[in-house]
Amino acid sequence: MTIGLNEFLVVSGILFTIGFVGILVRRNTLIIFMCLEMMLNGVNLALISFSRYNGSMDGNLLVFFIITVAAAEVAVGLAIIVALFRKRQTVYVQELNALKN
Amino acid sequence: MDVALIYKLFFLLPLVTAGIIACFLRKKHTLAAVFSVVSATVFSGLGLYLIFASERTAWSVSWLSLGGSECRSFDLHFGVLFNDLSALMLLVLIIVGLLVQVFSLGYMKDDPSKARFFAGLSIFMFSMLGIVLADNLVMIFIFWELVGFSSYVLINHYFDKPKAVAASKKAFIVNRVGDFGFLLGIVFVYWQFGTFNLVELEAKAALSPGLLSTGMGLLLFCGVLGKSAQMPLHVWLPDAMEGPTPISALIHAATMVAAGIYFTARVYFLMTDEVLNVVMWIGTITALYAAIVAFGQNDIKKVLAFSTLSQLGYMVAALGLGQYARSTGHGVEAGLATGAAVAMFHLTTHAFFKALLFLNSGSIIHACHHEQDIYKMGGLSGKMKLTFVTFTVGVLAIGGFPFLSGFFSKDSILHLAHMAPQHGGSSVPYYILLGTAGLTGLYMGRLYVVTFFGKARSDNADHAKESGPAMVIPLLILAVLSVIGGYTSIFGHGFDAVFHSIHVAEGSFKTLMIITGSLFSVGGILLAWIIWNPKKDTDALESSVPVLFKALSKQLYFDAVYDWYVIKIQDRVSLILSFLDQLFISGLMVRGTAGLVGVFGIISRSMHTGNLGGYAYWFAIGVLVLGAIAFGTFKF
Repeated sequence: MTIGLNEFLVVSGILFTIGFVGILVRRNTLIIFMCLEMMLNGVNLALISFSRYNGSMDGNLLVFFIITVAAAEVAVGLAIIVALFRKRQTVYVQELNALKN
Repeated sequence: MDVALIYKLFFLLPLVTAGIIACFLRKKHTLAAVFSVVSATVFSGLGLYLIFASERTAWSVSWLSLGGSECRSFDLHFGVLFNDLSALMLLVLIIVGLLVQVFSLGYMKDDPSKARFFAGLSIFMFSMLGIVLADNLVMIFIFWELVGFSSYVLINHYFDKPKAVAASKKAFIVNRVGDFGFLLGIVFVYWQFGTFNLVELEAKAALSPGLLSTGMGLLLFCGVLGKSAQMPLHVWLPDAMEGPTPISALIHAATMVAAGIYFTARVYFLMTDEVLNVVMWIGTITALYAAIVAFGQNDIKKVLAFSTLSQLGYMVAALGLGQYARSTGHGVEAGLATGAAVAMFHLTTHAFFKALLFLNSGSIIHACHHEQDIYKMGGLSGKMKLTFVTFTVGVLAIGGFPFLSGFFSKDSILHLAHMAPQHGGSSVPYYILLGTAGLTGLYMGRLYVVTFFGKARSDNADHAKESGPAMVIPLLILAVLSVIGGYTSIFGHGFDAVFHSIHVAEGSFKTLMIITGSLFSVGGILLAWIIWNPKKDTDALESSVPVLFKALSKQLYFDAVYDWYVIKIQDRVSLILSFLDQLFISGLMVRGTAGLVGVFGIISRSMHTGNLGGYAYWFAIGVLVLGAIAFGTFKF
């Protein structure tokens, strides 16, 4: 069998879903953060597949943006998690419910 | 100086005085009193300048404007309409006002809250000035309420006395009843004429008399019923005597209660003949009723209060009787309509002699250590000679003794009543008013004889001595005015529009008036001497016909009937209304709306868990729903 657009999209969808489910069910902020990255990469994969399929560079361009933004986001996000840990001594979301009150 | 500036100063002076006393001088009683009197003197000086030296004028500024330029806008003005009529009322206000302030210096000397009293007096002067000068109905209404407020504050001066508190509340509430009709009347006028301004109203009413109606006049007259204490809203005035005596003289005899008469004179062109007919009967009956009830009162101030009611009845009757003078057409072009002019004439002379009588009673009460029962006085003629003389002048003036002030004004009212049958009116008011004049002489004679003659009936009266100069000098000035106040020429030509409309009797009717006047005033005193012999300690009527005396002392049970009505009917209706209000308005609508929002609040609050996973779930559901809508799963 040839590996075509569909297979790439399925893998991209699986990656996205795993990431989303991970965000829903996991309690650890770091894991949630990694799941978020996985969702981004799922989207990246889909973009590149479409780019290849259509023979245009538009998708690749967008992917570079996403990677750049994700890198910046990781830097900020991890810093927040570290700061949070220093303050609350925990990274578990069920204990980080200060929004409620 | 600019006229507008003078008026602004004139308006602000008493208000600022009251404000300064209320803010800075509350504990400095003597200073507050002196400050108030000095301010009143300056105020009177300005007033006299306006009355005698400046031109009659109208001046107004826009105060509040609602609605844009395209639609019919609604403008409220703050303005002054100063004509001969308001000049006369202003003259009465400043003369009596200043004399009462000076008198109060003596009368209230030992009062622990003198500052409050004088601040109240200044507020009253301000409010009354507003009614006198106002050039539109809304402004009159505002100041009308303000005099009601100052009257409330001043009746309530001795607020540790439950009776004074009750009286002040009664005065305020009874006035509210009248003012409700008054407000409706003002709205009615605006609806018909589209303006509040008195000058424009007069022009429009003359142009299209079809716009006038009986309902409008009667509604406007409701305010007069309350403020001038006419039947059936007269019940507050006798109770208002709980206030300090200078207040009774100024507010509840000379000026505020006369504001209703003044107002009716001011809007006389809005009164149709049907309205004036009602007005005439109300005035006549009030005059008679109050004169009868005065016989059952032993409190010196209550007797004077009923005599005020009776004289106010005369003025109102004069306003009503003006319909007959109007139909013949004389006097209208010259200025004020005859009926209004005659009423204003009696208002002026009454202000002088009634303020005199009240201040005299204040002098007596002060000398007798706040004893007000005339059967605990007696024998004061020898102890208080000046008060005795001035009181005698007052009694003769109110009784209509020939050529004193009361004679002329009462004469012109009786003349109007006498003329009524010639113009298709009833002759009954004439006989009632004439009889009331006789009763006036008699009850004033009773008061006079019992208070001043015989021997002292209590220790307080035994130790009475003449009051100080601050109290006696106002009495002397008022006594002089009560004697000469009936000669209109002494006022100069400033009030011609009012005084030229008055027709005095001539020929045989004048002779009749002179005879009845002397008979009623002097004969009243002599007859009173025979009936209520000053040697006796009890009232002759009380000992001979106790049932009648009791009925009179209860004011013919008006208060009892009103109490019964309020408790048995009004309270029950209001209970039902209150229940309906609690159930529907408050329960269903006000609390119901709040409750509905509250339920939504509880639901959305339960979603707010603070759990990140929870939010992610909600987010996912939201995305699914949006997706479903985007794909057309739901049809809207």
